[in-house]
Formats: sequence, C-alpha cells, structure tokens
Amino acid sequence: MDWFYEFPEMGSSALRALKKGIDGSFRDFTREHGELMEQVFEPLKQFLIFSERLLTDTPWPIVIAVIAGLAWFASRSMKIAVGTIITLLLIGYFGMWEDTMRTVSMIFVCTITAIVLGLPIGVLMSRFDGMQRIVNPTLDIMQTMPSFVYLIPVVMLLGIGKVPGLIAVVIYAIPPVIRFTNLGIRLVPADVLEASEAFGTSAWQKMTKVQLPLALPTIMAGVNQTIMLSLAMVVVASMIGVQGLGQPVLKAIANQYFTLGMFNGLAIVGIAIIFDRASQAYGKRLQRHLEVVHG
Amino acid sequence: MTNQRKWFIGAVSAVALLGAGQAAAKCGTVTIASMNWQSAEVLAEIDKFILSEGYGCKAEIVPGDTMPTLTSMMEKGQPDVAPEAWINAVKEPLGKAVAEGRLVMSTKALADGGVEGIWMPKYIADKHPEIKTIADAFKRPDLFPAPEDKSKGALHNCPSGWACQINTGNAFKAWGGEKNGFTLVDTGSSAGLDGSIAKAYERKQGWLGYYWAPTSILGKYEMVKLDEGVKHDAKAWNACNVKEDCANPQKNSWPTAEVYTVVTSRFQKQGGEAYTYLTKRNWGNQTVNTLLAWMSDNQATGADGAVHFLEKNEAVWTKWVSADVAKKIKAAL
Repeated sequence: MDWFYEFPEMGSSALRALKKGIDGSFRDFTREHGELMEQVFEPLKQFLIFSERLLTDTPWPIVIAVIAGLAWFASRSMKIAVGTIITLLLIGYFGMWEDTMRTVSMIFVCTITAIVLGLPIGVLMSRFDGMQRIVNPTLDIMQTMPSFVYLIPVVMLLGIGKVPGLIAVVIYAIPPVIRFTNLGIRLVPADVLEASEAFGTSAWQKMTKVQLPLALPTIMAGVNQTIMLSLAMVVVASMIGVQGLGQPVLKAIANQYFTLGMFNGLAIVGIAIIFDRASQAYGKRLQRHLEVVHG
Repeated sequence: MTNQRKWFIGAVSAVALLGAGQAAAKCGTVTIASMNWQSAEVLAEIDKFILSEGYGCKAEIVPGDTMPTLTSMMEKGQPDVAPEAWINAVKEPLGKAVAEGRLVMSTKALADGGVEGIWMPKYIADKHPEIKTIADAFKRPDLFPAPEDKSKGALHNCPSGWACQINTGNAFKAWGGEKNGFTLVDTGSSAGLDGSIAKAYERKQGWLGYYWAPTSILGKYEMVKLDEGVKHDAKAWNACNVKEDCANPQKNSWPTAEVYTVVTSRFQKQGGEAYTYLTKRNWGNQTVNTLLAWMSDNQATGADGAVHFLEKNEAVWTKWVSADVAKKIKAAL
C-alpha cells in the first residue's frame, strides 16, 4: 500500500536530469541565437532610448505643457488638465522628476507596443473562433505566470535593461487590449452589420468603417487597463535594471526607508491617475454618439 | 611561589591533559549551527560528517543565523560550534566573550575571508593579461560595452538598496569612471546582477562589475578580481566610501570580511582531538565556489554537497585530520 501514502514521484535523479537537460538546451539556444535575438530587438531598444532622452532632455516646462495639452486634448476637461499640471509640479518639487520621466517614457513605449501587437491579434480573434480558443488560454498564462519565471530566460537572452523590462511589462499588460478588442468587435450589433452588408461593404470596409469604430470605446477601456497594468509592473521591471521610479522603491524595501518608498509609490499613483482619467475621458467622448442614438 | 608548588601545578596540569586525551575518544554530543546561506550550510554538514564518522561524536545540526546563533553561544553556551561566523557585525560582544573565556575562535573558516570587489570574466583576463587593476580596466571601455550605449563601457553596480550599491558608486567616482567613458549600470536585484553575468559568460562578452565571494556564481563562471592598487584604509572607508553623499571619494579597497569558526569553551575542553580538527579546518574561496556551483547545478542539499566534497577533494580535507581518522571517514563515504 506504499503507493497509496507516498505519491509515485518521478524520482529525484530522473527529475534532476530532466531539469538539467532543459536548462542545458536553453543555454545552447542562447549561445547560438542570442546575438540574433538582440539584433531583432535593436530597433525597439533604440526607440526606448530615444523616447527616454526626449523626455529627460527636454526642459521641464515644455514637458509639463505637452503632457497637460495631451490630457486636455484627450479629455477636453479643464479639471483633468489642471490636475495633471499640479501632479507633475509636485513630483518635480519632491525631486523625482528624472525617475518619473524615465517611467513615463517606458510606459508610453510599452503601451504603444501593446496596442500595435494587441489590436491585430484581437481583430483576428474576433473573426476566427479557432484563434480565440488558442489565444484565450495563452492570455491566462501570461496574466498569472509569476513574472520572474519568464524574466530568467529573457535576461539570459537579452541581458538586463530596457528591452527585457519592456518584454516583461508587455507580456503582463497586453491581455486587456486583446480581450477588449475581441469583445468590442463581437458586441457590434448584428443588425448594424446586416445593414452595412446590404450596402455592399467589403470585409475590409466592414472592419475599418463599421466594426472598429463601434468597438472603439470598448477598446479604449482595454487600453486604459493596459496602462494601469504596465504601471503596476514598474517595480518588477526595475529588478532587471530598468531605471525609473521602481529603483528607489527597491531601495526603500531593502532598507526600510518608509518615506522614500511612499513618495515614489505616490508618484507612480499620480501618473496612473493622470493616464487613467485622460484615457477614460477620451473613451467616454468616443461613446457620445451612443447617447445620441438613445436620445 | 616555591619551586615545589610550581612542580606540583605542572604535574596536575599534565594529569589534566592526559585526562583530556582520554576524553577525546568519546567526544560526546556536539551541536553544530547551520546558517541559512549555502556555504555555511555545506560546511556545517562537512563538520557533522567528519566529527561523527571520524571522531565518534554525536553531532547534531541546529538551524541558525549569525546574530541569534552567536548570541545564544555567548549567553547559553549552545550550540557548540558555529562553523562559518561572519564576525564583522558582532566584533565587540564576541571579543568580550573570547576574553572572558566563554568562546574561542578556533580557526579562520575561510582562509581568504569574505571578498568583495570589482570582477571580470577570466576569458577577458586571459586575452588581455595587461588588465590587472581597476584602473587598467577603466582604460578600456571598448572591452566592456554598456548594454544601452555600445560606445561606452559599463560597470555593473550592486543591487538597489544594498550597502555595496553606495560603495560601488563611490568607487566609480573615485576611479573617474565617467571621465573614462564608462556608465554605472543599475542591475536592480541580485537576480538581475547574476543574470547579466550569466548572459555575458554564455556569449563570451565583456563584463565588469561588483561581486563577492564565496558564491556559486563565481564557481560556475570563473571570474578574476581586479586589484584596487591601494590598501584598505578603514578610516577613509567609514568616513566616506560607505556614505551616499560623500563629496570626493578616494580610491580604496574593499575590506575583507573575517570569517571564523567559533567554538564554545566547553567543547574546546571536552572535544579533545575533535576540537583539534576544528582548529585546522579551513578552505579557500576557490574550493568553496566550485563546490557551491556543483550544488547549484545539481540542485543539491548541504548534505549532498558535503559528501560530494569529501569524495572529490581528498587533498583538501585529509590535511585537517590524522591519517587513521581519514581512513575512517573514507570508509564511511
């Protein structure tokens, strides 16, 4: 009855051999293809560096004016624009300007990458049910797998710094864009589609002129979630050498610097609120046509 | 004191010594503290194996950590042995306990001590034998390209928030890193630091940065510590090199941490030959690094590591024990 009480395990030597085998073959893979992978990601790296330089080298009043302008353009709300200015001024006053700019630049590039990759995947998912059956569980894995698990192979392949950080953030933050795009397109009413077909639209016209515009408010909710999730990953990304607000937080954790941690944490929250309010207000403005329909 | 009394005392101590010799045959129970890091864990297991198989002690492992274990040894005389005690943090109370005869520091457990500093991979050292010191390395930014700007060299810093982040940053300033075309790369965490070494090593790329020994990374990836070119100046070190806001840091070498085996006076008196073993037992960082790397590669426990060490490194441990004890241990393997 031994097997009843003791789980029939694989055996420690076989298990060790298995782990060593997988580790070894991955190591061989990095040795052979690491260089190539780095070249593939080189343009992205250059873009990350460019975006960071742009934000850190531009004089601060211009940066604040541009960000507040964007917030106003997105929301058409004076309240949000003024709130943005005050938040950024406070962040700068407490000596976190440079780190905040680095984080904003990182989040900006991560969000763009997530949209560029996520939108087409979401569209394909909405068109092909087979695709949905594959992508959905993949997204579940991406959202639940502890980040450090996939950071080990990524660091082995690409080293430490911005690109591995971006990969980690995008893996964690891309699922909402994909899911909401898929959902938004699937929620477009069937009668609207029938009407468009009656007018003789091609598949491409139907997608770009009917489905995507009608799905846009839902997609914007996904983008909003993506931004929030990427901000949540700032500290994890800093553990593999991404500069920004995460580094002081790590320092605070290691030394129990309560105030330092709190300030930088609040700065992350501040940016999050700016991005959240601006993108939500933009999403709502896109939805205004719906209100007209309903009177 | 008369001559007679001197003679008498001499005779009594001679008898006492004889008695101690007899007690050695059965050294009794001995508790060994196993600290919660890899090198101390495996050393405790080695002590346990040798003391129980070679000297017939009833050796037991008890879990511990630097402060609680040493405090308990000072106050309660338990456990008997702390095989790998990093004493820098507890110098004062430990010194007092040694002066009062409650504890003894039987030997330096790590012959080289705990070493920190700036390291680079051995394959770079082989290719460029002219690079011996930190200053030499700082002359060649092209050999250690920074991940984000290949035109610059990179010095990989210690993880965020660790004390070494500050002293490495000051060293970067002192050696004129920026002036020499280098940047200080934040590694974020020890996982990031280890990952950057592993990546460079698998691809035989240049790497320069802070690390410390004994560690399994240094056993797995052979690295060379660069000479600072200056002696450790404790006064300047404490006044400036460890301070974040030090205005004008000077070149200074990292202090070597002293790592001793600490034993209670009870076991010193009653252990006999088993105690003599604890006065001879020490090993070099290279040996420890290699063993730790084997343990990491094979995901081995401290006990597995001890057996592996005793099987493979006979030349090291046979020096610690007499020939017939060595025979007993070999028989038990």
